Amino acid sequence: MTAAEAPARQTVPPLAVRARDVLACEWTKFWSVRSTYWTLLVAVVTPIGTGAIVAAALAHQPAGAPAPTLDPLLPGFISLEYAALAVGVLGVLAFSTEYGTGLIRTTFTAVPRRRAVLAAKAAVAGAVTLAAGELVAFTTFFLVQAVLSGHHLGVSLSHPGVPGAVLADGIILFVVAMMGLGLGAIIRHTAGGITALVALIILPATLGLLPPPWGARISRFTLLEAARQVTALRPATNLFSPALSTLVLLAWPAATLGLAALVITRRDA
Amino acid sequence: MIEVDRLVKRFGAVTAVDGLSFTVQPGHVTGFLGPNGAGKTTTMRVILGLDAPTSGTATVNRHRYAGLIRPLHQVGALLDATALHGGRTARAHVLSVAQSNGIGRRRVTEVLRLTGLETVANRRVSGFSLGMKQRLGIAVALLGDPRVLMFDEPVNGLDTEGIAWIRQFLKALAAEGRTVLVSSHLMSEVAQTADHLIVIGRGRLIADTPTAQLIESSTRRDVLVQSPRAGELAGLITARGGTVARQDDGRLAVTGLDAPAIGDLAAEHGLAVHALIPRTASLEDAYLDLTGDSVEYRAARPQEAASR
Repeated sequence: MTAAEAPARQTVPPLAVRARDVLACEWTKFWSVRSTYWTLLVAVVTPIGTGAIVAAALAHQPAGAPAPTLDPLLPGFISLEYAALAVGVLGVLAFSTEYGTGLIRTTFTAVPRRRAVLAAKAAVAGAVTLAAGELVAFTTFFLVQAVLSGHHLGVSLSHPGVPGAVLADGIILFVVAMMGLGLGAIIRHTAGGITALVALIILPATLGLLPPPWGARISRFTLLEAARQVTALRPATNLFSPALSTLVLLAWPAATLGLAALVITRRDA
Repeated sequence: MIEVDRLVKRFGAVTAVDGLSFTVQPGHVTGFLGPNGAGKTTTMRVILGLDAPTSGTATVNRHRYAGLIRPLHQVGALLDATALHGGRTARAHVLSVAQSNGIGRRRVTEVLRLTGLETVANRRVSGFSLGMKQRLGIAVALLGDPRVLMFDEPVNGLDTEGIAWIRQFLKALAAEGRTVLVSSHLMSEVAQTADHLIVIGRGRLIADTPTAQLIESSTRRDVLVQSPRAGELAGLITARGGTVARQDDGRLAVTGLDAPAIGDLAAEHGLAVHALIPRTASLEDAYLDLTGDSVEYRAARPQEAASR
């Protein structure tokens, strides 16, 4: 038997080492394309940029009008709109560009355990969008409160319920990014993935228009209402509690990633 | 070693691979030949665990690919050189693949140097020519210093220099005792490199033979005859037991009689002969003979198309 025919070295590295390898691979991929920087730039800049404007607009009342009953945390939530879309796109692209270019076959040839690839992509995109989300949430909070305090409407971070609500703002970006990632793996096309993501966020919200009490009963399961509940200073009483709403919020990306994990091993690459 | 055993792969109603069995041995460059659509790429994808077989098995070093840990240390493959993210630099691309299998940066630099991509390593691959992308794909395949290598149409789109480089490279890899499988739809591309051939058509095995033997076994030999009185000569040849096929240009392709016999026959009857050309089948002809019935998509001949 020549050296060529000798059985390959079967020294199996420990799971932790293999996990670190796949994470390093996905980390390198994540930071080596320009779309990452563009989408993160939009995600960080637009909420901070629009937060103060939204706050000023909402706080502005004509002279003599009754004092507005503004939730001082609402501007921070509203200004996340474009950021959520941007990180959603970032999530979709993580898989859709690999399927679109055919690179996915190199990826799955290097790492035949496809769920490990899904997990590593989710870990990298999740960690980055969570960090970016919290940065955005707290920066926007302080900016918005600075504007609102000029109208005597502001609230401080030490106010009961505020830290949790601001943290939740940051989690929303993470949630949308993870849904995008799952949809990118399921649909395998950029445009289709983004369309599905927007549809999943917006379409169920129309159920809230059903006649009471059905509107609230159903819409409390939707992403938008759950997100509103966990980020509000005074949560609505006819919806789920913030704790339950947090579970709803996390159930959406969990379900998407779960479905992605199911289909990713069953289809030809 | 690559072993494919009674492999079947269907896509809906289409059977891409139809009960294919073969073994690829180490120490040789094995050509994997077949017309377009014969099932070569599908077979390679199944070997790499990318497509699930409908039935049958494909193993590498006696293991299913999907079960391999850090597979790049055992198998290197290049399926589609253009399957890259254009925005990534060559180095980032190779590094990301290397990291997934615990391969270090030193080896990344090494394979980039081996494939002559050192100087362009930090450029985005969207600016690469097809030849450079092929080299990049080969760099990735070599990362883990694998004993088994598979290349799907590696010389497609390469210039003469690139083709010569790849041929030398494949031979050198096999000389080191590695298993090398190279697919192509053109016999001429692999004939000089491969010393063993696996020929498939419509997903079935047509030939599994040493290259030299395929040439020898090819029996197609004929004599091309040009004569101003071809019609008369054809009759005489047929009467003498030969077979005549009239060519489009009026010349006769004769089998069953050799050139001296035809010349003597013409002289006996006082017929002028302008040319008498003995022909032996080339490897390309042998290949065409083998695969002629199995071509999936055949263009209409020019005159057929024109007569419609």
